[in-house]
Amino acid sequence: MPTEISHINVQYDKTIGRGEQFGPGFNYPVFVARGQDDIMYVLCRGTEFRPEGVRVTVCTTDEEYVSTFARGINYQGPHEFNMEDGSLVWPTCIALDSQENLFISDEWLNRISSFSKDGDFLGKWEERTGSGDGELDRPSGMAFDADDNLYIVDSGNHRVQKFSKDGKFLFKFGTEGSGDGEFNMPWGITIDSHGDIFIADWRNDRIQKFSPDGQFLMKFGSSGSGEGQFDRPTGIAVDRDGVIYVADWLNNRLQVFDQDGKFVAEKTGEAGVSKWAKDKLDANAEMWGERERAQGLEREKDFWGPTGVTVDDQGRIFVPESARNRIQVYKTQSPTFAGPRL
Amino acid sequence: MSDQDISQIAHLMRRAGFGAPLEELQARAAKGYDATVDELLDPESQPAMERDLMMRYKVDWLSQAGLEGQQEEWTFRMINSKRPLQEKIALFWHCVLVTGHAKCEYPKQQSMELDMFRTVGMGSFHELLKGLSKDPAMVFYLDNCMSHKGAINENWGRELLELFSLGVGMDGEFNYSEDDVKEAARAFTGWTVTNSIPRYPYGKYDAKFMFDPRDHDAGEKTFLGETGNFNGEDIVDIIVKQPATARFVARHLYNFFVADEPQVPSWKDTPPRDIEAIKMLEEEYFRSNYNITSMLRVLFKSDFFKESTFAKIKSPAETVVGTLKLVGDFKFPRPGLDLMTMNIRYMGQDLLNPPTVEGWHTGREWIDSGTLVERINFTADQVGNINHTGVKDIIGRIGGTGSVLTADQLIDGCLENLGAYQLADETRKQLVELASSEGEIRSDSEGFPLQVATMLQSIVATTEYLFA
Repeated sequence: MPTEISHINVQYDKTIGRGEQFGPGFNYPVFVARGQDDIMYVLCRGTEFRPEGVRVTVCTTDEEYVSTFARGINYQGPHEFNMEDGSLVWPTCIALDSQENLFISDEWLNRISSFSKDGDFLGKWEERTGSGDGELDRPSGMAFDADDNLYIVDSGNHRVQKFSKDGKFLFKFGTEGSGDGEFNMPWGITIDSHGDIFIADWRNDRIQKFSPDGQFLMKFGSSGSGEGQFDRPTGIAVDRDGVIYVADWLNNRLQVFDQDGKFVAEKTGEAGVSKWAKDKLDANAEMWGERERAQGLEREKDFWGPTGVTVDDQGRIFVPESARNRIQVYKTQSPTFAGPRL
Repeated sequence: MSDQDISQIAHLMRRAGFGAPLEELQARAAKGYDATVDELLDPESQPAMERDLMMRYKVDWLSQAGLEGQQEEWTFRMINSKRPLQEKIALFWHCVLVTGHAKCEYPKQQSMELDMFRTVGMGSFHELLKGLSKDPAMVFYLDNCMSHKGAINENWGRELLELFSLGVGMDGEFNYSEDDVKEAARAFTGWTVTNSIPRYPYGKYDAKFMFDPRDHDAGEKTFLGETGNFNGEDIVDIIVKQPATARFVARHLYNFFVADEPQVPSWKDTPPRDIEAIKMLEEEYFRSNYNITSMLRVLFKSDFFKESTFAKIKSPAETVVGTLKLVGDFKFPRPGLDLMTMNIRYMGQDLLNPPTVEGWHTGREWIDSGTLVERINFTADQVGNINHTGVKDIIGRIGGTGSVLTADQLIDGCLENLGAYQLADETRKQLVELASSEGEIRSDSEGFPLQVATMLQSIVATTEYLFA
């Protein structure tokens, strides 16, 4: 056996969270934003019939609960929404600007709301539903570039638009289709250290890469469940070494690619009992007994509905699972050697 | 294309689906009645639901972890499926082969059961009963997981015979004995489900069916006159070949798709309202080797079906879904659907959560003073909303028939657009008076949309509109 050197080695680190309508825990988490120090902001999509579960949970990577802010909307009728400032209906993504203010996309209200890191409502871009320049139709993924300009995946219009932080339209790229530079209901976005833009082209089951000015650079992926194939990729992230991570939603896995888009590894889930989960189980001690008697407990490890992926500057990868109300954390390792002694 | 063609297709689509707007009825009528029946009976020929889109926007529809979300998701399917009979058959079996949320460890198990009804439910009744016997939602709901060798729990064995296959009796005779119940229960011992993973901290996981041979009573049993070392599958094999099972399936299909029968508990002593129709369906049951699609083909193409217009009171699900299809709302996932599905509950049909293992009593028992008000308020609110695209289309179509309309023309236009409805003379007279009370009806007038909407509201408030 020849000695192989793998420069990309992704290993399970830990699990964060538990299902909770209020307080420490998550409710259909769809995105994680990493703040300064150990702070993380977890966007909980919740449901419309329990709007109190729609929120941002703030906690640390060590699972210390900090706070909750923003809220869902109570509505009086199927067409009568209370669209108060600071309300969320279908929140999809958080983008942090250079001051760590949170910008949250809402793909029902077609609204971008902003909050301070302490949860104070700062403002919103006036709703601009439509398909013209600067107008939005189901804004989903968002990412700030190094100049504090905001790229928004305008999913219903099958394009990406770039705005200044105060909402001024700068430019757009992409149209509906399956050719190079075309999209079919794209979702996630990330910007790498060179300023290049990666888009999870959701219904085309592929990833596309663009230059900062929107020029198509490369693509990879196709429909399926094999290595390098996708079933509706939702989130994408690129680490400082250019390694690409994709939340492969309906295949229930995290896929890892090198900077050329070559498949490296997949992770189907290794979740364990998180700190908050242990607290919950300790408070409901009979559950420990039920777990001991349960058949198929190993299924608890598996991803279910990975809807986003975020990397931090420590090489940790955060994958929220909307259907499991938790975040699986992985980390990249230094180069490893496999085979006989060198 | 005659009015009769539209009327017949409207009748078919109300029964084999949840109704349809006029333009769809016209398109189907142009294809022909028999071709439409064949298409409905071949759901795979039509596109499936776009589940990726549904779950992208309604994230809780992926995990199916709660009743409200499940009801929403199913309602959305019923409104939008290009395979309407597939959803209708799921509703049919849900009303017959009952499990309930109130006794379900994990709501998703019931969604998985519905998936079985959508597919196996249009195939062999033999396979459906076998699937049901191993369905974790059912095994838990009727306690077969609590039935052990030497200590049987009769719940599943009893309901399998009484409510899911033979029925208590027919033609005045009992179909089975207490001993048959006990022997069936013995045969199903060891058919159980895996211990489930608890709800905390990450939510439930679906249980799996499992056979525990150590807990199975492998001894000799005598069941419906046959003797052997029967297991559960043997029991189902014996059940499906009984004439009473053919009667049971035929009568339920007739009751759901053709005309209201008396309530199920009275079937032993109350003969079918159309014994010739039931015999046709029974014959097809055996001829086709218990195939439900074959029975439905005979049913939908029969004269007794074509002559059964407005012989059924719409169920709450049919009322709400049919209305939402008509007005063109919720074609794409969006917030607010839960408020719509709540109306099905308020009208007396809490989908996936029936009152007992017997399901819901149907026909006139859907209507009481409370549910009637809910029904009329809901339908009137919807058809009276001139912002709904479907209502706008209706206004446009009626307005397109002329610049000045008589009261009769306005009423006829509304009736046609609601699905070729018919009114009793006295009802029509009152509506003519109503329509005439505001002077000339001009389609180019500012008030015309409201005049149409008011007439639609008046019609859906009639006794006639309670029927399908």
